[in-house]
Amino acid sequence: MADVTVIGQGIFLRGSIKGDGDVEIRGRIEGDVEVAGEVTIGEGALVKADVTARRITVRGAVAGNLTGEDGVRLEEGARVVGDLRGAGIGIAEGALLRGNVQTGTGGESRGRARQQAAPARAPARVERVEPRKAPALVPKGTAGRKAAAAEERPAPPPPVVPVLKKGSRAALRKRSR
Amino acid sequence: MANTVISQGITIEGELTTDDDVVIEGTLRGKLVSKDTVKVETGAVIEADITASSLSVGGQITGNVTASDRVDLMPGARLIGDVKASRLTIADGASFKGNVDMDV
Repeated sequence: MADVTVIGQGIFLRGSIKGDGDVEIRGRIEGDVEVAGEVTIGEGALVKADVTARRITVRGAVAGNLTGEDGVRLEEGARVVGDLRGAGIGIAEGALLRGNVQTGTGGESRGRARQQAAPARAPARVERVEPRKAPALVPKGTAGRKAAAAEERPAPPPPVVPVLKKGSRAALRKRSR
Repeated sequence: MANTVISQGITIEGELTTDDDVVIEGTLRGKLVSKDTVKVETGAVIEADITASSLSVGGQITGNVTASDRVDLMPGARLIGDVKASRLTIADGASFKGNVDMDV
């Protein structure tokens, strides 16, 4: 009992949980959960976080990716929006899931690789994600709009001057005619 | 058994808010607000401001502490920070550095 961390029903945590040992979540969490032991997400729990653990059991609601090195189990009443990854994945009848599932030894070896080379992998992921996001964001995002706006703002003055010049030239021509 | 237990080996970073009691045996960084009792057990390390109805400390706290009812520093407790509570006890063997405000 002493080794089990319990996040009770009335709890709201905005932040991260890390460490060894097991964690049982019955309350609300927004952040990240990264534990070496087992994670149980109980009935009535609301977790908006990526959860990484040896084994994950879900009976509550989760918005986030679940990575269980040994396995992930969705019990009846589980509602998960996110990806599941683990050596073995079980989804019981009455569990709801929207997301990707990846099972088998591939997931296990990846889990192990991630644990072993966590610092090396983490930046590698970021590098992968950023180039994908960057081109997508530039046209859609506010940065793109700002850039477009910045292009538009300096743009008017040059036309204005030529237009006046042209106009004046035209006027001069008209006058001359 | 307490509603919420943060056991040894676990580190929580962030803001923890609850109406219920909390027992901390591990590490907490950030902020803790509870409307009930908070127990910081021996071996716990807290780097956070704590607000609770009553607080008993056996571990180590760096941060300001506010309790609507009472604060008890047990033997072996170590508190660096200010205490605001209507009642405060400091046991022999507890170390404490900070100001005390007892609503005099």
